Amino acid sequence: RRSRSKQSSVSSIADDQITDLVSKLQHLIPELRRRRFDKVSTSKVLQETCNYIRSLHREVEDLSDRLSQLLASTDSDSDQAAIIRSLLMQ
Amino acid sequence: MNRWRTKREHQIYSSKLFQALCRSRRTSSSTSAKELHQTADRVLAITAKGTSRWSRAILAAPLTAGTNMKKHKKAKVTVHTRLRKPVVNREKKKLPVVERKLKALRRLVPGCRKLSCNNLLEETSDYIAALEMQARAMTAITEFLGRGEAQAPTDRQGSIGNM
Repeated sequence: RRSRSKQSSVSSIADDQITDLVSKLQHLIPELRRRRFDKVSTSKVLQETCNYIRSLHREVEDLSDRLSQLLASTDSDSDQAAIIRSLLMQ
Repeated sequence: MNRWRTKREHQIYSSKLFQALCRSRRTSSSTSAKELHQTADRVLAITAKGTSRWSRAILAAPLTAGTNMKKHKKAKVTVHTRLRKPVVNREKKKLPVVERKLKALRRLVPGCRKLSCNNLLEETSDYIAALEMQARAMTAITEFLGRGEAQAPTDRQGSIGNM
């Protein structure tokens, strides 16, 4: 499928598609939002997007760890209704 | 995508997750961090109501007990050897690098390995917004449970008066 790379004018993924994706992604990533007016390279945006998703995964992993410990030590059954009410009030 | 930022969605998710966690506590004596993470992801996918590919992929994935669901295997080596080829008549030297990173992104978002660029954008933005909400909601639950430890249960009942 990618054997057309011999011709320099034909790329396997349309360039404007990538550019579009990249410029929109730039707004989503906190790291890059600050540098909105700087020109950020395509590969940098994609790299930062991947880094950001991975950091979110790690954050949730850490939270899962803490929560599992808290749940083990707390007798949450008696407070369950109260906690749910608090969560719905947030 | 913006709905992940609403208070309502946050409330729905955090209360659903907490209920799911209490349920699983009753059936098994302890919940490992990995199982909890899996539950958090599944509840997140359910909250998405089947509107996105990543959420459908999470729900379709088999439940793994104790093992890491995400496989961190390296991509095919052929991708890297392309970078080593001498650049003869190519205007865009960066294209292989970009393709490589696109592929990495596709692997990070569930169910999107063969997705086109446009759809990938949509899925990625929705997924990122959902993950951010997930982190906020789980932090909130952690705080409430933490507070429960610091005070006696009876005190807390009294302090939650205004609903």
